[in-house]
Amino acid sequence: MAEATTEPGSGRPSLVPALERMAADILRFALPVLFAFFVGAVVLAFIGENPLDTYALMLSEGFGSSRRVAATLSAATPLLFTAVATAICFRSGVFNVGVDGAFVLGGLAAAAAGALLPVALGWSIAPLAMVAAMAVAGVWLYVPGLLLARLDVDEVVSTLMLNFIALGLSGFLVNTLLLSETSGNNTTDTIHAVAELSRLMPPSTLHSGFLIGLACVAAYWVWARWTPAGYEAKLVGLNQRFARAVGIAIPASIVLVMAISGIVAGLGGASHALGQVHKFSDGFSAGYGFTGMAVALLARNSAFGIVFGAVLFGALASAGTTIQLFSDVPLDIVNVIEGTVMIFAVMELGRLSLRRGRAS
Amino acid sequence: MMQIAEQVLAASVVLATPILLAAIGGLVNRQGGIVNIALEAKMLTGAFVAVVVSSATGSWGVAVLAAAIVSAAIGYLFSLTITRARANMIIAGLGLNVLVAGFVGFIMNVGFDASGTLRMPHVELLPKLLPGSVAALPLVGEALSDLDPLTVFAWLSVAALPFLLANTRLGLRLRAAGNAPHVARAVGLREKSLQDFGTAFAGFYSGLAGAHLALASIGLFNEGLTAGRGFIALAAFYFARNRPVGTALVCLFFGFLDATQIRLQTVGLPPQLIGTLPYAMVILGLCLTAWNLKRKAQA
Repeated sequence: MAEATTEPGSGRPSLVPALERMAADILRFALPVLFAFFVGAVVLAFIGENPLDTYALMLSEGFGSSRRVAATLSAATPLLFTAVATAICFRSGVFNVGVDGAFVLGGLAAAAAGALLPVALGWSIAPLAMVAAMAVAGVWLYVPGLLLARLDVDEVVSTLMLNFIALGLSGFLVNTLLLSETSGNNTTDTIHAVAELSRLMPPSTLHSGFLIGLACVAAYWVWARWTPAGYEAKLVGLNQRFARAVGIAIPASIVLVMAISGIVAGLGGASHALGQVHKFSDGFSAGYGFTGMAVALLARNSAFGIVFGAVLFGALASAGTTIQLFSDVPLDIVNVIEGTVMIFAVMELGRLSLRRGRAS
Repeated sequence: MMQIAEQVLAASVVLATPILLAAIGGLVNRQGGIVNIALEAKMLTGAFVAVVVSSATGSWGVAVLAAAIVSAAIGYLFSLTITRARANMIIAGLGLNVLVAGFVGFIMNVGFDASGTLRMPHVELLPKLLPGSVAALPLVGEALSDLDPLTVFAWLSVAALPFLLANTRLGLRLRAAGNAPHVARAVGLREKSLQDFGTAFAGFYSGLAGAHLALASIGLFNEGLTAGRGFIALAAFYFARNRPVGTALVCLFFGFLDATQIRLQTVGLPPQLIGTLPYAMVILGLCLTAWNLKRKAQA
């Protein structure tokens, strides 16, 4: 009965509730951010810095010129992928915290392929490296997905632990099999120049991985909003009993979202390896998986919110490094703000945890 | 050979202590219904506070106590976001880890003009409890001569914990709050306050764990000092399914892995892979448990 929710005679959904919902979404995005900036301001005031001056400086360092904007978007690029990878799972109520590990292994696979594939393959190396990254990372998260779906193995613990295993495994590989013979410890060879993703605004490091990231967000939007599989995944997140009652295969849906999450995270790692750093070394991911989680939470899994959130955190990261140079404010303030955002973003959320009464 | 065994045993015990202390806190917390992902943050706080206070007062005792109290206070505040503001405990925990790492780095930078590593003058280390002459004993001699107050406290806690959880009013109520919060509320217990106590308790023990990391031998603070030990502690009590004695033995094994990493490297076992063993063990343990449950349900 579509009429029940529409204005009489219009045949279209009413505009006012839609606007109200949008306002509520914006508020839910803005409140944790404002609160985090408030906490940051208190910390700054405590050390005798004027918070407004610092924030003004951050704003101009984040967006002040086309070069600074490029730096911000460059820093936002990995977050687009990791936020989408997280949101895909969170909206299904699957608490995947293993995106960081998948990102790392994807980056390793892409860097290895980019360096080891014969250079004669030319332009096709980059896509092949991406496929390798997606395959490795997809399988990586497919496993805990399967364990959750078939055996009800707590995915929080399994994916959390898999992050550390991914770090150890990649650390092992870059010191043995994939160790570069020319550039010392803990790093692979540099990828072939032909495999590098093109730079969009030289001399900035902004590369075409950013566009791939935007395409991922768009694909996520389409999948979530317009495909049956995306809708089913949402129902699983909203109410498992109802989803089962209407005939959705819940295990299949869980495994699917986990595998897609891994694929997206792996593509993000590939973008970072091929576009940004051009090799894989220890410390490849600066917590991108976790910042992506903060972005997804702030955005409440909405595609538009993810773009905003990724740019916001990208600006924080890129401005944070330069304000450290120009003022007495250490870069750590960015972590203070990010951590506060994460905590405040979930203070209202809470409902993700109710799924299985995990409290016991 | 004997000498190597002696050294490995001693190193295992010392390296197990911080993991064990944090795991004790985490397991009590989990029995009370809260999975504490932020043990790492509280260990880091404890280590930082311990170094600063030990340097300022010249007393290891004051330093340890200060570390524990500050971490307990952070744990309590963290708990309020979960029990009162209904924050998701996993995300809030991960957020706290990020927040605390940033905050500690910030204070180090601004207050002490240090980045990465903080060296303070006159840091008093944990004392050795037993006279040096015990080192002459076979096998356990070296371990005994290394024994510090926090290691002893950790193992005493392990010994007391089964009794405390099963036979005291507070222990039973805490477990009731964790296992059946609705029932706990129905019989008039304040289950949220009990959970807050559990999280503060976890903070207290994690603070001790951090103090041990900083003051057992190195006497300085480093941003990477905890190196994921809060998560290894989580792995330990998950693997031992919250049983205090089992958790302690798992911690001892993890300490043993840590102690032998370098030796095993010489026989071709890469340290990076050995380092992942605790995490792999948990996943395997969870799988076996789940598989058993499923088989029983089908039978």
